[in-house]
Amino acid sequence: MNREKLVSLQELAAMIPDGARLALGGSFLHRGPFALVRELIRQGRRGLEIIKQSPGYDLDLLCRCGVAAKASCGIVALEGPFGIAPWYRKAVEEGNLTLEEHSCATLAAGLRAVVFGVPFQPVAGLHGSDLARVNHWACLPDPYGSGRDTWVIPPVRPDFAVIHAAEVTAAGDARVWGTPNWDRLMTRAAESVLITAERLVQDSFFSERPELTLVPRFLTRGAAVVPHGAWPGSCTPFYGVDYPALEEYLRRPEETFVRAHLAHAPEAATQGTVATREGQT
Amino acid sequence: MTEEPFFSLFAHLVIGLARFIRPDEIAFSGVNSTLPMLACLLARQCYNFSFTYLNVAGGVDPEPAHAPLSSSDPILTQGSCSIFANEDFYDLCCRGGMDICFLGAAQVDGKGNTNLSCIGDWHAPKVRLPGGGGAPVMLPTARRAVGWRTEHSPRTLVERLDFTTAAGGLHGLVTPYAVFEKTDGCLALKHWNPAVSPEEIRRRTGFAFDAPQATPSPKPDQRELSALRRLDPEGVFAAGSGIRLWSEEKT
Repeated sequence: MNREKLVSLQELAAMIPDGARLALGGSFLHRGPFALVRELIRQGRRGLEIIKQSPGYDLDLLCRCGVAAKASCGIVALEGPFGIAPWYRKAVEEGNLTLEEHSCATLAAGLRAVVFGVPFQPVAGLHGSDLARVNHWACLPDPYGSGRDTWVIPPVRPDFAVIHAAEVTAAGDARVWGTPNWDRLMTRAAESVLITAERLVQDSFFSERPELTLVPRFLTRGAAVVPHGAWPGSCTPFYGVDYPALEEYLRRPEETFVRAHLAHAPEAATQGTVATREGQT
Repeated sequence: MTEEPFFSLFAHLVIGLARFIRPDEIAFSGVNSTLPMLACLLARQCYNFSFTYLNVAGGVDPEPAHAPLSSSDPILTQGSCSIFANEDFYDLCCRGGMDICFLGAAQVDGKGNTNLSCIGDWHAPKVRLPGGGGAPVMLPTARRAVGWRTEHSPRTLVERLDFTTAAGGLHGLVTPYAVFEKTDGCLALKHWNPAVSPEEIRRRTGFAFDAPQATPSPKPDQRELSALRRLDPEGVFAAGSGIRLWSEEKT
């Protein structure tokens, strides 16, 4: 199977309907699919549920624009010198975002339940945490008699996993550099996988070292080449965090700023153009 | 503010955290964890023993050219010969293989349990906080978990948490003023920053604690101080660490 998966960023975002459950790749300011998140806002999407262990700019922007209705996550912050994600905080405090608060590992357990094809997934630790109470999680005795009671987490089932990769093939294989964060688990748990990537490469580039590929093509439903698609975050090895852009994002609460922020993002320059195979490695 | 050669408050925190690491251990620093990141990098530079340093960026004994502003920055994999990703280090911790991990907190109680979730009722929070990240699973499963708090006050070190995000009890807790260590299931004062008195620490701490063998924090040696200078040559981390709250409280 070598079906072409390449579409434009707009077409990729259009595959995601209102109310979809989206697992977003990366962590905090690093390698998040931020261009796709902005495109969902431009397209007026509503009622999204975000699943991510450590969202930051992505969930904050979606809350700022009223696009996210629910979030399942472990820690939300802009990290580094910035601390708390202000629009996320406001959305929870004002009751505009339903929060399913996890620990990173319990969210992983929920995803693993789906990946492993079982109705729940045991997880170590958690004893004494109020998270078990607010989430109504169950604690089971060991049926094999160790005496160790173990918390079990229900499935977390994303409709889509959206990840930003370093490289993608036309058939939808994707590779990341550095840590995959939770992207491997997300892409195995989701109903569909959507990829944005810094650059397009030929199959032979991956087939030389197939063990370095994170996402195999048959899992991928669509892919778009989006240079600087993780801006204002980092995408190793291509670029680091754009701290001045984030400072401005935090400093300017006015609504007109968001419009300008979306209009001046790197992907806005290629709006309306279809991803081409130019620049193929 | 007290400056070198005595402890700055920033140095007390970073060096206080670093001193919890023991030879041959596996140590971990996570997201939103600038001070533990600096502590682990400092310990690797200046202590006469080896240990394994893992971080949330996937680094294994990295040699970054400089310390990044974000403690999850891929810069923290520079020089690393492998990527030990999120699933790997959580699973390692869960099976009892993490000797020491560093965990943040908004509130800490006298048993070393932590709140990182909310001020007020969880269902209608007065303040929504970032959340616990790995803590609810790592605090009970790591062999030792060490916390830190940049504000040492009765509203951060509390008798009763608004919400227990993570239980299981910190082994240690470091603040600009004090180092606590778990004794008989409760945090006891181990060291105080010579810039203040033990009485002032008691006034500023919301939970009751014992101090059976407390001593002033041992002075930082030259290697610790020069390692800290190398990690923060412009004083960016010292200025951004949130410890400025201290001088505001004093006035």
